[in-house]
Amino acid sequence: MKSSRTLGLVMIAPAAIMIVLFFLLPVVLTAVFSMTNMTTATGISGGVYQIAPNSLITLKSAMPDIAAEISEPRYAIDEAGLKAVEGLGLAPGIAGELRAKHTGEVFATRRDAERMIKDLSERPSTRDVKQISEQFNRSVVNTRFDSKEQLFSALDTLGLKLTPEQKETVATATYTGWTWTTDNFSRLATSPDMARVLLNTVLYVALVLTLFNVGYALLLAIWTHYMPPGPASIFRGIWLLPRITPVVIYVLLWKWLAWDSGFISILMGKFGYPPKNYLLDTAYHAWFFVVLINGFIGASMGMLVFSSAMKAIPKSQFYASEVDGASRWQQIRYIILPQMRWPILFVTCYQTLSLLASFNEILLATNGGPGNSTEVWALAAYHTALRNYAGNLEYGLGAAMALVLVVIGVTLSLLYLRVFNYGTLVAKPLIED
Amino acid sequence: MTILPTLKSLTIAAAILASTSAFAFAKDVTISVWAGGTGPNDVYRLDAIEIAAQQLQRQAALKGEDLKITVEKKSYSAWEDFKQALTLAAEAKTAPNIVVSGHEDIAPWSQAGLIVPIEDYVDLDSWPLNGIYENLLQIASYNGTVYGIPQDAESRPMFFWKPYMKAIGYSDADLDALPQSVQDGKYTMKNLLEDAKKMQDKGLVQPGYGFYPRTSNGPDYWQFYTSFGGTMEEGGKLVFDKAAMTRTYQFFADAVKSGVTKKNHIGMPGDQWWKEVATGKAGIWDGGTWHYARLVNQEGLKDFFGNVIFTLIPAGEGGKANTLTHPLVYLLTAGHDKEDTDIAAQLITIASEPRINALHAVKSAHLGISEAESQVDFYSADRWTREATERLLPHANAMPNNSDFGTYWNIMWKNLQASWTGDKTVDAAVSDAESELKSTLGDKIVIR
Repeated sequence: MKSSRTLGLVMIAPAAIMIVLFFLLPVVLTAVFSMTNMTTATGISGGVYQIAPNSLITLKSAMPDIAAEISEPRYAIDEAGLKAVEGLGLAPGIAGELRAKHTGEVFATRRDAERMIKDLSERPSTRDVKQISEQFNRSVVNTRFDSKEQLFSALDTLGLKLTPEQKETVATATYTGWTWTTDNFSRLATSPDMARVLLNTVLYVALVLTLFNVGYALLLAIWTHYMPPGPASIFRGIWLLPRITPVVIYVLLWKWLAWDSGFISILMGKFGYPPKNYLLDTAYHAWFFVVLINGFIGASMGMLVFSSAMKAIPKSQFYASEVDGASRWQQIRYIILPQMRWPILFVTCYQTLSLLASFNEILLATNGGPGNSTEVWALAAYHTALRNYAGNLEYGLGAAMALVLVVIGVTLSLLYLRVFNYGTLVAKPLIED
Repeated sequence: MTILPTLKSLTIAAAILASTSAFAFAKDVTISVWAGGTGPNDVYRLDAIEIAAQQLQRQAALKGEDLKITVEKKSYSAWEDFKQALTLAAEAKTAPNIVVSGHEDIAPWSQAGLIVPIEDYVDLDSWPLNGIYENLLQIASYNGTVYGIPQDAESRPMFFWKPYMKAIGYSDADLDALPQSVQDGKYTMKNLLEDAKKMQDKGLVQPGYGFYPRTSNGPDYWQFYTSFGGTMEEGGKLVFDKAAMTRTYQFFADAVKSGVTKKNHIGMPGDQWWKEVATGKAGIWDGGTWHYARLVNQEGLKDFFGNVIFTLIPAGEGGKANTLTHPLVYLLTAGHDKEDTDIAAQLITIASEPRINALHAVKSAHLGISEAESQVDFYSADRWTREATERLLPHANAMPNNSDFGTYWNIMWKNLQASWTGDKTVDAAVSDAESELKSTLGDKIVIR
C-alpha cells in the first residue's frame, strides 16, 4: 500500500512540475511584480545608481548645495590622469604634451576636454580621444554605479563630506531601478477609469456568457438534439467555423462587414443611408459587435458539451415520456435540463474564466474604443503592461491588474462550486460504499 | 606521375594559408538594426546603414584591414509592436546593435540601461556630426549627454484642401497668404472650425469630414495643447496646465458637437483615412510632413500643390501657432561587444552624411538634419522638402525627453479620447487626468 503511494507520487511528479512551472509560477510572479513600480524606465532586472541632472531635480529642493556640487561635470588634467594615460600604450608624445601644456586645467564638459585633446600635435583617433578623456573624468555625473558602496566611495573621492542620512537620500534619489510598493493597488482603487473598466468587464462577461456561451449554446444543442443526425452534424459543423477560423481573419471579416466602406454600409447605401462605421459609431454599436464576435466563437464549445451530454441521456427516458404524452417543452424541462446541471456548471465556470481573461478579439475589433468604452480589464492590463504608443510599459501596474483578475477568477470559481453544489455532484455513489 | 596532383594541392593549401595570414585583421561583424514606424517610403532608415557599411569596409581596406560587415535589417510599421519587441529584447539581452526610434524613448531607455550614449563613441566636433542642427542634437540628448544621432526631422502641419477653401470664398491671394496669417495668429483654431463647418454646409464634404484629424494616438495631439497655451515641461519638470488642457479637450468636443469631426473618428482604419484625405473627401486635416510622400507615392494624389495648402497648427485661445518635430534618432543599445558598438557608431556617423541622409529625406518627405543637407541640390531641388523646411522647421517644438513623459502622455490621451467621444464631459476628463497624474507622478509633475 505504502509503496504504491510512493509510486503514485513519482508518477504524478512530471505533472506537478508542469503545474508549478506553467500555472503556479506565473501567478506568483504576477503577484511579485504587482508589488513593484516596474516600468520600461526602471527596467526589469534591477537598477543602478546614476547621478544624472534629471534624477537630482527632487534632491535640489532638499539639499541644493550638495545637489549642485555633485551634478557638476569636471574633467581635470592631473597627475593621476596623466599616469593613467601613460599606461594606455598610446604614442608617448601625447602624455608628455598634456603634462607640459595642460597640467592643472579643468574642463566643464567632456566635449571641451576632448577638443583640447584633439588639438594635440599627435592628434589621436576618436577612439583614443575617448579613452584619454576618460582618464581625467573627475565627476560622477551620468556614471552608473552598480552598488551603493561604489556610489558612496565615488562621492568620497569627490571630497564631499556627507552624513550617512544624506548619503541614503542621494542613493534613493539616484536609484534607477524599481522599488517595492503597494501604490499600484491604491491607484487601481482610486482611479475612476478603473471603475469604468471593471464595469465594462462585468457587462462583457455577463452578456456574452448568458446570451451566447450558455444560453444560445443550450438552445443550439436542444435544436440539434431533435434534428435528424445528418443535418444536425452539418449545423454543428457550421457553428464551429468561428472557433476554428484564425482570430485575426475572423475579426477582419467582421470589420469588412461593419466598416464605412463595408458590406452593411454598401447595403444601407442602397436605401439612402450615408455610409458609417457601424463597428465604432457609438459605444452601443461597439458593444453590439463585441458581444456578437465573441459570442459566435464561444457558443460552439457549449453546444458541443451540451450536445454530447444530451446524447448520454438514456433514450428510454424520452420514449417513456412520449408514451406518457409529454410535450417537447416538458421533455426539456423535466428530462434534459435536470441532467444538464454538471455540463452547465462546467461551461459557465470555464467560460466565465476564459471571458475574464480574453481580450484578443476586442483588441483586434475595437481596441477598447470608441473612447475606452469597450476596454475590458484584461485588455487594459495588456495595454498598460505591454503595449502603448508612448512606449512606457508599466509592468508593475499591469501585473497588479492581472492579479486582480486572478483573484476575481478564483473567487468566482469557488462561488460557482457553492451555487451548483459541487459536493453533491461528485459524491461517491452509495452503492460503492 | 602521382606526385604532381599532391604537389598541386599542397601549393594551393600553402597559398590559402599565406593569404589568411596576410589579412591578420580579418573581422566579420554583423550589425543588426531595427527601425520603428517604418513604411515603404522610409527604407533608407535601414538602407543608409547598409550604404555606410560599404563605405566603412573600403576605409578599413585602405588601412589593410579586412573588415566584413553584414547588416541585418528589421523594420516595424507600427510603433506599439516595435517598442514592445525592442524593450523585451533588450531586457533579454538580445537587442539589435542599432535602433531607430523616437527621441522620447531616450529618457526611459537610458535610465533602464538599455542604450549607451553615442557621444562615448563618436566625435561630435567633426563632419558630418558637427553640421547637425543644434536643436536637433539637443532633442537627441538627455542629462547633458548626447545619446542619439538625429536620423530625420519633420514637423506636423495643418493641411487644407484648396478647391474647397476657394468654394467657401478664399481667393488665390488669400490662400497664398494663409500660412503667414496662421503664423501671425490672425487665422486661429476658431476660424478653422468655422471654415470646416462652411465646407459641410455647402455640401462640399460629408458631415464629419470638415476637420479630419489623425485617427490614432500620436505626438500630433501635443501640438493642439501648445496651440491652446499648454507647456509640456519646464526646468526638467513635467507641466500639466489645466486651463490649456481644458481648452484642448473642449476644441475636439466642440468639433464633434458641431458635426465637423466624427465622434467615432479615433480608431477608424488608417488606410481608409489616407484614401479619404488624398481624394478630397476631407476638408482640413493635420498630419506630418512625411504624409506628402504617402499621398503622392501610394495614394495617387498627383497634383499635391494644386490641391493642398499647408500651414503651422493655428493658434488657439491663450496659445500660439506651432508645429512639433519628432525626430527619429539612431541609438546604440547596451550589452554588445565594445568593438561592435564602435563599428555601429561609425556606421551611424557615415549614414548621417548629407547625401546619404538626403536619400531618406526626399524619398520619405522628412526634413534634413543639417544645413549642409539643405544645400545638396538633390534635396533643395525638391519643392516639398524645401518649402516645408523653410515654413515649418523654425517654429517646431519637441516633446520633452523625460522618463515620466510616457505616463503623462497615456493619461492625457486616454482622457482626450473620453471627452472626444462624449464618454466624459471635458471638465470630468481634465479632473480625472489631474487626479491620476497626482496619484501616479506626485511631485514629478507641476499641476497649474
